[in-house]
Amino acid sequence: MERVGVFICECGPNIKDAIDIQELVGFASRLDNVVMTLPFRIFGSEEGKELIKQKIRENKLTRVVIAACSPKEHEHTFKQVLEEAGLNGHLLQIANIREQCAWVIRDKTLATEKAKVMLKGAVRRVIHHEPLEKKEIECVPDVLVVGAGVAGIGAALTLAQKNRKVYLIERLPSIGGKVARYEDLFPNLECASCVLEPELDEVFHKENIQILTCCEVEEVLGFFGNFTVKIREKARFVDVDACIGCGACFDACPVKVVNEFNEGLDERKAIYIPYPGALPNVAVIDRGGCVRFNGGECNACQLSCPFGAIHYDAVEKIHELKVGAVVLATGFDLFDPKRAPQYGYGKFDNIYTSLEFERITNSDGPTGGKIQLKDGRAPQSVAIIHCVGSRSERHNEYCSGICCMYSLKFAHLLKDKLPEVKISQFYSDLCLPAKDNQRFLSDLFKKGIELVRLKAAESIEITKKEEKLLVTYKGIFGKEEKAAFDMVILSPAVEPTQDATKIARLFDISQDEYGFFAEEHNKLAPVSTSTEGIFIAGCAQGPRDIQSSVAQGQAAAGRILSRLIPGERVELAVTTAKVDEELCGGCRLCMGLCPFKAITFDEEGRHLRINEVLCRGCGVCGATCPSGAIRSKHFTEKQIFEEIRGLL
Amino acid sequence: MDRFEPKIIGFLCNWCSYEGADAAGKSRRKYPANLRVIRVMCSGRIDPQFVMEAFRVGADGVVILGCHPGDCHYKEGNYKALKRYHLLQKTLAQLGIEKERCTLNWIAASEGEKFAEIVKEMVKKVKQLGPIDNSE
Repeated sequence: MERVGVFICECGPNIKDAIDIQELVGFASRLDNVVMTLPFRIFGSEEGKELIKQKIRENKLTRVVIAACSPKEHEHTFKQVLEEAGLNGHLLQIANIREQCAWVIRDKTLATEKAKVMLKGAVRRVIHHEPLEKKEIECVPDVLVVGAGVAGIGAALTLAQKNRKVYLIERLPSIGGKVARYEDLFPNLECASCVLEPELDEVFHKENIQILTCCEVEEVLGFFGNFTVKIREKARFVDVDACIGCGACFDACPVKVVNEFNEGLDERKAIYIPYPGALPNVAVIDRGGCVRFNGGECNACQLSCPFGAIHYDAVEKIHELKVGAVVLATGFDLFDPKRAPQYGYGKFDNIYTSLEFERITNSDGPTGGKIQLKDGRAPQSVAIIHCVGSRSERHNEYCSGICCMYSLKFAHLLKDKLPEVKISQFYSDLCLPAKDNQRFLSDLFKKGIELVRLKAAESIEITKKEEKLLVTYKGIFGKEEKAAFDMVILSPAVEPTQDATKIARLFDISQDEYGFFAEEHNKLAPVSTSTEGIFIAGCAQGPRDIQSSVAQGQAAAGRILSRLIPGERVELAVTTAKVDEELCGGCRLCMGLCPFKAITFDEEGRHLRINEVLCRGCGVCGATCPSGAIRSKHFTEKQIFEEIRGLL
Repeated sequence: MDRFEPKIIGFLCNWCSYEGADAAGKSRRKYPANLRVIRVMCSGRIDPQFVMEAFRVGADGVVILGCHPGDCHYKEGNYKALKRYHLLQKTLAQLGIEKERCTLNWIAASEGEKFAEIVKEMVKKVKQLGPIDNSE
């Protein structure tokens, strides 16, 4: 026989004025199993809470009903009160007689009647409540960060500490991501390597950060606190400990291949270091280009190496990493303007994408930083075209957020290197948010550039006329105009990487309609995903600038630091589901429906099993099970049936 | 018939629709006292048997309220609720229960006004239909 105590909160005048408290008290005290009823001014106050504890002990209550404000306000508080009085916090039911009764019913009689019904439902339900224990599991505090660009590095540096290891893996042979390819950064035109190099250096040498390059994720198993991730490390064929990056091997190599680091604008050798100062400063053999790996005879690099660092027999390695959480910071790719033939890219010379132009301006780039046309002359006129593939119905409807700023940056750089150059920026809207960006534009006017506003982002076409490139466009009044330029720079859309879908599937996270990784909540959870323990940061989540990417990397780290504490256990959801193995018929209907992949089939026992760590207690499985074998704790069929009966 | 006050049971999900109901309260939006709410974590928890039990024990109408598609706290629970609802309507029809007696709607946490309107509409409609005939 349960001993139910009913506490009725007057909530100052809020409930007292709308409901006949005395009548409610009388009604409650006559309900089955109710041994004690008490009204009070405000149960949420310190005095009120003490009163509840006192009455629980005095009356040896086994269940508690509190008729008060919404459980969404104070359920947590009152659960705590029960615990302090020696009762499990789940032996409580709250009747929402404020938000869903006193505040929404004008007539006092009707409101009192509804409150009575709510109490009846609550009392009947609470009798069938069961104590539920807090659950915790051991976890691995180590973290895997995928992608060693600024976002990933931001996360890694924030996470690395004593008692926690960070694995930072990178697909390419060197770290730094896109920013390693830039020359100057907006809006202060600071030197990119001055900003990046110290960070790369720090992350490279920091204790507790292990960097693995030439790596990709192969398989992901497990759950938050306990992931097992298989990483495939491609062979470099060069010993990272022996190689000092002297470059003797590249001099010796007879093969030249397209240099992807310079966006194909020049060539490199088949054995190479991506750029001077790359980290790790170790050579790597590109199997695709190498004579030897394509069946030929050559060991020029091995012979030239003074340290014996080159080993042709090196093999791939598989690493199995045990981590508690993962940060995906895999960056972006640029829209390929060949998909929009109107821009003439790939058809005519001297039309460059922004990344190509970055490399042209870079002192380590294909022209040593000299801005020049294909034939070596300096351009006298340059057109910079915004929104190539962005804000487009045909391609990407979103704004890529960074292109206006870097397009203006290019104008600054052009003017600084070639003061007489004539620059025209073709745009349809300017996107210059954040504190420092508007000034960037005003400074540029002083240097003398032309801003040409288009009727629409795509009202522009590029063709060739004699030796120049002809830009045909529609200005804001819709009239067609033409202008000739020596060079055209295109600002293409920021898009998800080619392998974004593969990675999303491996980690079981969603992608948004554009293919970027989907955040858990647009406002309140921008760096987590709906898969617990997998976080996202930087352009992998959506187009954003360096500052914002770094912020997200640090934010993801923050989220992880607050839950994965070395030496401590992770608290889990309590109102989870459980399968009664005797009743389970093994039909597996529940398995496919679980959004968190928490249900697996036990082959031996021929029944389903719910992983209590992955289960978040939504109850979908409970509603599905035709055998009634699944119990959704705290929302069991019995509890809900009793509540229904009490309410009617 | 004017004396008939229908009993409406509402199954509301913890994250959006229950918040929406609270939102109506916070802005003091009045709606009929006929609604009795049962909170579940997700509209996907709603077993059609709950709805059948509600009708069996005396509910004249049942409203099921969940998060808007795409907003479900548990990814797609609301879609599952929707699918079950369609099947449920067929079963209810076979039992002679008019399909207007059981409705499904999406309520966001901020949609207090919409919530109040839904309750008003439901009460009005069920009043017209009359008390449920439990003679079977």
